Amino acid sequence: MNLSQISPAAPEITLTLMICVVLLADLFVPQEKRVITFWLSIASLAVTAWVIVVTASSATTLAFDGSYVSDPLSRLMKLCATGIVGVGFLYARDYLQQNDLLKGEYYLLGLFGLLGMMIMMSANSLLTMYLGLETLSLSLYALVAFERESAKAAESAMKYFVLGAIASGALLYGISWVYGVTGTLHFHEIAEVIRQNPGLNDVPLWFGIAFMIVGIAFKFGAVPFHMWLPDVYQGARSPVTLYIATAPKIAALALLFRILVDGLGELHGVWQGMIMVVAVLSLLIGNIVAIAQSNIKRMLGYSAIAHVGFILLAVFTGSETGYAAALFYTLTYIVMAAGAFGMVILLSRQGFEAEAIRDFKGLNARNPWFALMMLFFMFGMAGVPPWVGFIAKLNVINAVLEAGFPGLAVLMVLASVVGAYYYLRVIWYMYFDAPEDRSVFQSQADTRFVLSLNGIAVLALGILPGWLLKLCIDVIGHS
Amino acid sequence: MFHAILFYSFAAILVVAALGVIFARNPVHAVMFLVLAFFQSAVLWLLAEAEFLAIVLVLVYVGAVMVLFLFVVMMLDVEVEEIRGGYTRYAPLGIVIAGLMVVELAQVIWLRGKEGFAVDGFRPTPEGYSNTEALGSVLYTEHVYAFEIAAVILLLAIVAAISLTMRRRPGLKQQDIASQVAVRAQDRVRIVKMASEKPE
Amino acid sequence: MIGLQHYLTMSAILFTLSVAGIFINRRNLILLLMCIELMLLAVNFNFIAFSRYLGDETGQVFVFFILTVAAAEAAIGLAILVVLFRNRRSINVQELDSMKG
Repeated sequence: MNLSQISPAAPEITLTLMICVVLLADLFVPQEKRVITFWLSIASLAVTAWVIVVTASSATTLAFDGSYVSDPLSRLMKLCATGIVGVGFLYARDYLQQNDLLKGEYYLLGLFGLLGMMIMMSANSLLTMYLGLETLSLSLYALVAFERESAKAAESAMKYFVLGAIASGALLYGISWVYGVTGTLHFHEIAEVIRQNPGLNDVPLWFGIAFMIVGIAFKFGAVPFHMWLPDVYQGARSPVTLYIATAPKIAALALLFRILVDGLGELHGVWQGMIMVVAVLSLLIGNIVAIAQSNIKRMLGYSAIAHVGFILLAVFTGSETGYAAALFYTLTYIVMAAGAFGMVILLSRQGFEAEAIRDFKGLNARNPWFALMMLFFMFGMAGVPPWVGFIAKLNVINAVLEAGFPGLAVLMVLASVVGAYYYLRVIWYMYFDAPEDRSVFQSQADTRFVLSLNGIAVLALGILPGWLLKLCIDVIGHS
Repeated sequence: MFHAILFYSFAAILVVAALGVIFARNPVHAVMFLVLAFFQSAVLWLLAEAEFLAIVLVLVYVGAVMVLFLFVVMMLDVEVEEIRGGYTRYAPLGIVIAGLMVVELAQVIWLRGKEGFAVDGFRPTPEGYSNTEALGSVLYTEHVYAFEIAAVILLLAIVAAISLTMRRRPGLKQQDIASQVAVRAQDRVRIVKMASEKPE
Repeated sequence: MIGLQHYLTMSAILFTLSVAGIFINRRNLILLLMCIELMLLAVNFNFIAFSRYLGDETGQVFVFFILTVAAAEAAIGLAILVVLFRNRRSINVQELDSMKG
């Protein structure tokens, strides 16, 4: 083995090295200077992002005997995931400091999770995919339980762990059947075997696909495997919720793309129906149950389930337009989700978690600028033009229409209209109600600056979506 | 024939052990049943000539993971009486799902599977075949990437488990090896010069 | 002749038992974690059977990694369980209901 054989994996290797540096540095940093760990983590992310950009090309390279693939899709996903994790770390800093939670573990586990996501995005075999998924999941379980004194956090972590482990078991059982029928774990070889042997041992293969879809749907948090999602969003501390709500969605999309499209694309007709059922249920239940929520983190949890419905319906079409729409939707959704949870963190302070929707009452009177930012995020998620959520939804609906399912398109429009209600309620509280408390926000200037940028990005991407849309289409076309 | 008798008898014990895990009232008994299940599985894997994994299962699972389980069960000291009680409201659903799965799995394996899977036993391994050697030769070459990720996962597990459970209790007495080693004789022993005393 | 089908059936029985155990479990979380271990054991049976049937070592390598990951998973799961017990003095499944909606 020489260097050129492992060099495509440079981003992962860099991040692993940086994790070791942060781990060691954190050990020797005194508690009052813990912010050094934060800056080191940000530096790790910057270095990783730099390596991803420097090594970028339009070529597809395999490494490690075909178990690793570096293609434009994986590089775009990795870059976005790294960026959004960095934004999350920044939003979290003041909150953690005020609540005496500023420990190195938050950043370390966050970096480990990012490494897991990057492994998933570049996985070219079911084995590497599974290992990446476990790296991510184990970090997330530990992150949720990270506040040890909170019974609520421990309870939600336990639920997350048990259901997540069962989902991993189902996914593995499915993988074992697919391996047994095709005799290989590499996605391209699986696709090749299926192409060359039509009708190959179909029932066991379908059986395996069904089990794998259960696992994938769970990781997305799609109905009926969504039970963990609202509890985890509510039970975890807001910075952890922010982390779970953003980057892992890209990783889940990578899981879906690699297994169902790269590996089992030929059997599109088999998995299409299952994905559709899951997606439609998510769309309906997510939007309807979100209306009844009074806790904003829980509400955003159900809203995430509804958004997953959109993403899955875009994949369901099985066309390149649909895949590009799913990618665009995911990338823009995480920007909005990061902003919305960033606002929850901004409004919280020592010993007070701004998690009730009524905590947003009269925000306009307290701080018009951030009320406007929250309005951007809510309008973006609701899909109001010209915010980016509208373009994302429009793309998916177009792809579904193109694939010839007008009924589903109508359903998506209706679900969006229902969904707009609970987003608008937050806006109503902010602008037309009197504030209940008038305390001043306690965050630093850089956090406020990034949050403002985040809000402006939601609007700017909505007005000028062309370049990102083109990038998504190019990336899908090259993979 | 002898092979079949061995397989069926160990498989029967395995099923009994698995049932024991689910229905045992005392969690310590459940852990013991699970240990039994792992031993039976190891034997069945030996029969399938997967010797390396059979040994790893006993060493890693019975030797480490199950001991960890047992340790936690005893540490938490859950009262046996407290955990008795009726089945959950999901019990009927669980039994229905289990029944459906048995039927479907049997169909997949025995009826439809025959179209693609040969029914005669496993092909015999070639003369002089070593299972451990075969696994070792691919583990560090073809699967070196997965191997490295597994190392990262173990590191992650260490970090996570320690950060979740380690508590710094005030007043805990600890050894400070460095200061013990660095101690000098003159710090501990004071030699006092004094005139010898005579008994009166 | 004992072959693939026998091992797959064994695996199916174990998998079904573990799923049934998860559903009908009425007591504590440790039991749930043990059912998950049983489920992974069923998966391992499948991989070993297919690996021997195909004459391909990859399946057995996969089992090796599942064992590694399962050990890490058990460590983290039990750590979370201990944290939960310290906070609530109970590991009863039915008491995990502080969040609703």
